[in-house]
Amino acid sequence: MRFFRNVFSQLHTFVLWALFSVLFWGWIFALITDTSPAKKIAVYCDVPELRDVDLAVELERHMPEGIRMVKVHSFDYVMMDIENIGKGDIFIVAASDLEKYAEFLTGPDGESGVKIYDAATGTGAAAEYIGYTDEDFYLFLGSGSVHLEDGKAAQVAGQLLSMTGDAPGD
Amino acid sequence: MSGTVIELYSDADLRRLRAQIRGWRVALGVLAAVALAVCVALAAVTGTANAARTEPAAVIVSTVLGWVILYCHIFVVTAKQRELTHARMLREEERERVEGPVTVTKERLVIRKSITARRVEVRGEEGRRLLVCESRAGTLAQARATAVYAAHGYAAAYEVEP
Repeated sequence: MRFFRNVFSQLHTFVLWALFSVLFWGWIFALITDTSPAKKIAVYCDVPELRDVDLAVELERHMPEGIRMVKVHSFDYVMMDIENIGKGDIFIVAASDLEKYAEFLTGPDGESGVKIYDAATGTGAAAEYIGYTDEDFYLFLGSGSVHLEDGKAAQVAGQLLSMTGDAPGD
Repeated sequence: MSGTVIELYSDADLRRLRAQIRGWRVALGVLAAVALAVCVALAAVTGTANAARTEPAAVIVSTVLGWVILYCHIFVVTAKQRELTHARMLREEERERVEGPVTVTKERLVIRKSITARRVEVRGEEGRRLLVCESRAGTLAQARATAVYAAHGYAAAYEVEP
């Protein structure tokens, strides 16, 4: 009883400490697990289900030189801040959403995207990580990517496309 | 006729309190260092694959051990520090002798936020009500004191028949 009475008498102190702990370590780990756009490849997937961490780990196995990490997000991640999409390096977009995000997209060949999932055959690259829905999906590079010129975005995109080896061509 | 005067806080008691405070501070410092080391180690091994596990682990370690340290500091170390300050005050302040049969009541009061005191009644000619620190109440209650030396309303020493 005395223990609980003591705790309640200083409840504000304990709550403040918990808050500080969450914010401080959240900040530290954010510094560790993120880096500047120049040192990472950001992949955005227009799918409802995504094994983002597993896909990022897989892509990090063969990172281009100078890249420290690969970040994989669903579009929900930037839903509240559409400006962030413009910073993406690689996009996997459903056919029905191509017009919606057209301003952020450019194909590996400078024009069109590469079909990464074919709904008719149900085959696509990295399908064990990306929960494709019942329509075609295309891979694009980000028009605002800082890794267009150095080819690193295209390198990771190539790795992504080869992940199952049965990705349908455009 | 004066009897034998016995201090409620002897020099040895003050030394013991100081040693306990030092010991607790060292222990809590070690615990804080361990918590920090664990969190730094978790941060050091963090990568894309395990960040979802290491970050909550660091937050839990930091929060829970922080709570333990805060609790011990507030309710043990600070309480002992206050008792030490209180004991020093009793030893150093001017005292008055209050004569008469001494009874330690069950009435408790929390003074200075953490010192728990018991009410002492001295039923002499004047009749006085004093306080005694909870940790010394038992000693005074069993002492069969014939007089009490009071400082700032607290029993600082007692007198027994030789």
